[in-house]
Amino acid sequence: MTPRRRAWPAVLGFALSAAATGAGAQPATYRFDPSHSFVHFEVMHFGTSTLRGRFGPLEGFATLDLSAGRGGVSLRVPTRIVSTGLAVLDSRLRQADLLASDEHPQAFFVAERLVFDGQTLRELRGEFTLRGTSRPLSLRALRFSCGMHPVLGREWCGGDFAAELKRSDYGITFGLPLVADRVRLLIQVEAIRDQ
Amino acid sequence: MKNSLIAAALIATTGFAQAQSATYSVDPTHTFVTFEALHFGTSTIRGRFDRKEGTVQFDRAGKSGKAEISIDLGSVSTGVGPLDGHLKSKDFFDAATNTSAKFVSEKFGFNGDKVSEVAGTLTMMGKTVPVTLKASNFNCYQSPMLKREVCGGDFETTITRSQWGIVYGLPGIPDNIRLLIQIEAIRQ
Repeated sequence: MTPRRRAWPAVLGFALSAAATGAGAQPATYRFDPSHSFVHFEVMHFGTSTLRGRFGPLEGFATLDLSAGRGGVSLRVPTRIVSTGLAVLDSRLRQADLLASDEHPQAFFVAERLVFDGQTLRELRGEFTLRGTSRPLSLRALRFSCGMHPVLGREWCGGDFAAELKRSDYGITFGLPLVADRVRLLIQVEAIRDQ
Repeated sequence: MKNSLIAAALIATTGFAQAQSATYSVDPTHTFVTFEALHFGTSTIRGRFDRKEGTVQFDRAGKSGKAEISIDLGSVSTGVGPLDGHLKSKDFFDAATNTSAKFVSEKFGFNGDKVSEVAGTLTMMGKTVPVTLKASNFNCYQSPMLKREVCGGDFETTITRSQWGIVYGLPGIPDNIRLLIQIEAIRQ
């Protein structure tokens, strides 16, 4: 599959229209809680140990109509706000041959297809854009639930999701193969329903 | 080039089997403890400790080892400033008083020539509790940058935080906390 390039406003517009035309049902909008919305990455270092880093808080929202089993997700990952615990590595990751944070300060994930098994959300199927390259990506739900937030007293949904990608698919080849191509993403997200 | 590096690493690893106990210094750039805590049954909060030090003595042929690793509790990093502050407060670590957590082991388990588990004790908040770390990866390689042998891996365990008296937020934030440990140590 050839990588495609798309501008963020076009992707966002598509997600909004997809959500709007979703059905006769009324999807509710849930906005990400910045204190509980992060993505962690894991990549194998010299076939020995797992190097981890964090991006976030993530910005974005989900439109959900759980009874109809549909919805969409739009999220932005700030590529400058990468944190591995090592300032020198964080700076290195922002450079042009890795995250290219100056040219591409954000990565995007947009899913217009939510896969349900009964009432249980299993998967978000969409497209991930990193360094301006877009590729299909599925986020597998490790857990997902909705309810009343115990502190805020508002409707709230959240969960953990996992995905895997090959960084070379997005043109990030520095350090291969000593630092592995396969990158695991662990996404924590909680979102509060708009009032 | 890459293949020759891998070959060099393999040869170094094989040769190491004849070696006696050697001392390894923890590489702080590839050693982190990450914790995972489920938040109100909904999503997983992750945090990391950024300052640590330690040494490992390791005899692959004799299948024995010792480790002593100290983690600075005040270096906790979740990406959420107010949460880091709360974790360092008296509700959790009281990091001003309890500056560090210390893991000490004198019992390495092996599966073949790879470390499979490390049994020891974790001391923090003035309490010492047995903890066993299970290896999910273990390997030694010759570092092309350092020109030294590096051994390391991934380890994990689940601790019960109330055993150290950390009970704030139970049960919304559960007692069971998963620890994921990345470690690499450089032969001295």
